[in-house]
Amino acid sequence: MNGVKKVSFPSFTHYNYAFKYFMENGVGARYIMPPQMTLRTLDRGTKASPDYVCTPFKTTLGSMMDCLEAGADTIFMSMGLCRLGYYGELQEQILRDMGYQFDFVNLSEYSTGKRRDYIKALKRLNPRMSVAKMMLVLAETVKLVEQLDEAEAMYYKNCGFEKVKGSCKTAIKRYHTAVETATTGRELEAAYKKFKKEFNEIELDKPENPLKVGVVGEFLTAQDAFSNLDVEQKLADMGVEVYRYLNATSRMFHYKGKNLQVETSEYCKYDMGPTSTINIWAAKNYASHSFDGIVHIKSAGCTPEIDIMPVLHNISEDYKIPVLYLTYDSQTSDTGLATRLEAFYDMISMRKKVL
Amino acid sequence: MKEAYLGIDIGSISTKGVIIDEDNNILASSYIWTEGNPLGSAKKLLGILEEQFDKETYQIVATGTTGSARNLVGAMVGATMVKNEITAHAIGTTTLYPDVRTILEIGGQDSKIILVENGVAIDYAMNTLCAAGTGSFLSSQAKRLGVEVEEFGDIALKSTHPTQIAARCTVFAESDLVHKIQMGHPKEDIIAGLCKAVVSNYLNNVGKGKKILSPVVFQGGVSKNIGVTAAFKEALGCDIIVDENGHLMGAFGVAILAGRSSKRKVFDFSVEDMEFKTRDTNCGRCPNNCEIICVYRDGVLIDSWGNRCDRGAIKIGTKLAN
Repeated sequence: MNGVKKVSFPSFTHYNYAFKYFMENGVGARYIMPPQMTLRTLDRGTKASPDYVCTPFKTTLGSMMDCLEAGADTIFMSMGLCRLGYYGELQEQILRDMGYQFDFVNLSEYSTGKRRDYIKALKRLNPRMSVAKMMLVLAETVKLVEQLDEAEAMYYKNCGFEKVKGSCKTAIKRYHTAVETATTGRELEAAYKKFKKEFNEIELDKPENPLKVGVVGEFLTAQDAFSNLDVEQKLADMGVEVYRYLNATSRMFHYKGKNLQVETSEYCKYDMGPTSTINIWAAKNYASHSFDGIVHIKSAGCTPEIDIMPVLHNISEDYKIPVLYLTYDSQTSDTGLATRLEAFYDMISMRKKVL
Repeated sequence: MKEAYLGIDIGSISTKGVIIDEDNNILASSYIWTEGNPLGSAKKLLGILEEQFDKETYQIVATGTTGSARNLVGAMVGATMVKNEITAHAIGTTTLYPDVRTILEIGGQDSKIILVENGVAIDYAMNTLCAAGTGSFLSSQAKRLGVEVEEFGDIALKSTHPTQIAARCTVFAESDLVHKIQMGHPKEDIIAGLCKAVVSNYLNNVGKGKKILSPVVFQGGVSKNIGVTAAFKEALGCDIIVDENGHLMGAFGVAILAGRSSKRKVFDFSVEDMEFKTRDTNCGRCPNNCEIICVYRDGVLIDSWGNRCDRGAIKIGTKLAN
């Protein structure tokens, strides 16, 4: 169909809804929703990856295979500020060596910071894309990402306290379906309004001063429930309010790195990588707002996140707040995770009773 | 009839059990090897406990399980409390030593550190991904050197000049060790070096960034090794308390927790004669292919776990089809 591509981006929490909206309505390409990741995804991704690479490389590679088999003919890959910036090039080569045939749009090759270069990348998906329309839809997409993140924050703050089990999950699933099928900005607004109304009507059984845990960590593993074995849900289910400042909204669209750095200057002088400043700030913020605990999530070998661990030690000591460090690789048994989470919960709840 | 509580701690290497009365006095206790068979060793353990236990005056009204096979054995004995080993250890030790500040624990496969303030755990850490510097490392090296792991401590104390052994990773430690043996280092120096290596590995990995304050309690199977205890004393520069029941602390803690909870169920030693079987099946209802473990008592399903969603839920009470 005159150069219009069937494009896909590897599975990454709820952001694929935003990608879909942007690609279909803004760029005018077709978007293939990546199939939900399963153990098979991780298995195939791990087999084709170098052993010591960070886990997100493996999951995104596996997801790319899933996308290509689901009918996509083009893969769109993001740029990044750490090793993520080199993911695309290597993944493309691996997939080609395996025999897949596809187009690969690697945003790293266009990341000059100039608008016309990004437009060049998008024009590869649809040569007749209208730039004016794309810019308009881009604004709507940014709004959508904010709403998706906000909905998720509401969800993890409250889902552990619902009276009828599963009612929060139903509400957010219904919202995601509405977003997936929306074609105009107005529909997106209506869906979000409806979700908020529905969600606020859910009956909760929340104590006056519930346990609060803040999550910090590496960009993909901390956010993607499949990659972190659903750690936020597991925590919430024990009866905990779970907060995570780190998301696309706060890291990409409303990122105030300089300010955050000034506010955390007693802990670190320099920016140490893509998410270190935001995580240190968030951890300090949780600690000073008398949260009960912090959970730090990273994939094995993630250097920027290893760098912030000594800072978290200091915050933990200064504010007397326990930090649970979780490292993920391609293991899928959650027994070890359950033991650590349970113990962490027992500890913070007993502590709260005494203090 | 007085109340009593049973606690069982089924670890990767050893199985521990205690029966306590209402005042936390130990009425019966035992420590045996798991030998890769948690159900069998739990049965054997119950047999030993039954012999020591005075059934005329006491009745077991609550049962707790902990350790890595806590779910499996919990289903078998009908536990009223199934708790992770970190909490169980913290509770056990703080009951015996209310003013303890640091609990060091090295077991067969894992090691942990628990920091305590005012009798409540305030921070903990556990080894991740790797079992370097735990009991299983010591026992495999003991085999290589041709000594019993139980004699390790006594031999280590004879050494005046411990050999330096790289401790970061078990595999590296082992090749370093072989090298030092072939160089001609005496056995007691090597064994003392191993004990030191376990301690420095522990302090660098699990204890990293944690403030270790006195009083310090050292427990877990490895605490029975006086060589390691001496190495801890030297490294931390303070006295180390090793309780004579330090290896039972997990079982003791979970027995206390079972007693404290309001759930009551009279425990009957007859489970020793029942037949327990486990079977794993693959769900197959989506590409996740969850492995579901089913536990059968005399051919009837009593529990199952491993499924990630409701699709894999299995009905309790189903008969085992042969």
